[in-house]
Amino acid sequence: MSLAGSMEKEEKINGCEDRVVLVLPNKPEYVSLARLAASGIAGRMGFDVETVEDIKLAVAEACTNAIKHGCCKEDSEYRIEFGVGEKCLTISIADRGCGMDKKDLCQPDLQNPREGGLGLFIINTLMDRVEFETAPNTGFTITMKKYLGV
Amino acid sequence: MSGAEYCYQNDGGRCVVKVKGEIDIYTAAEFKKQINAAIEEVTGDLHIDCSELQYMDSTGLGVLIGALKRMKEQGRNIYLENLRPNVRKLFAITGLDKIFILEV
Repeated sequence: MSLAGSMEKEEKINGCEDRVVLVLPNKPEYVSLARLAASGIAGRMGFDVETVEDIKLAVAEACTNAIKHGCCKEDSEYRIEFGVGEKCLTISIADRGCGMDKKDLCQPDLQNPREGGLGLFIINTLMDRVEFETAPNTGFTITMKKYLGV
Repeated sequence: MSGAEYCYQNDGGRCVVKVKGEIDIYTAAEFKKQINAAIEEVTGDLHIDCSELQYMDSTGLGVLIGALKRMKEQGRNIYLENLRPNVRKLFAITGLDKIFILEV
């Protein structure tokens, strides 16, 4: 079973989940809309202000990654799915690109800081669980989870 | 939609750029343009007042890293002032608080 599949199964065991789906054009001006949705959902679930900010930032970084590396065509789209569980928020962001560079997960090199490639490191630091899946022909999906009261 | 506003103060040779709003993938290009213009315009250090910067992500960090490299080559520095907790946290988790001067 794929990683994303195992996470889905876990959530079904944990209880029912509401889903909110956003499909956004590959255009930078819509990323603020994803942030608004993320903070609205996380705030409604009862996350504290600091955690809402963390979730908002993680979602924006994933959207930025989708726009930059997902598909270079502006007329393409990417999909954000929020799974709202009782104790856990699951967010999947899927694009049609070829994924990411594993070195982008490493701690930034402060002797020689790069101007890009910080997004995935930030997501990994802020969220409780992060998984990546690359499927040929379909694209790249990043799935992240934040647990309430942890 | 998100946006950012800029204003400049030249306070006795001390150049302060005040950034208001949100810096993300949409607004980062304008942020870069404004910061680069400020670097060109003055000869000393650059102070960026972030008291009204509500949000910034890695796209804004990228602009600042590029600007800092340029400034250091010229023996100059960038001071980031009055960061809000969410923006300060971004510098802390990436370790960039060690290469930028963050002032209260």
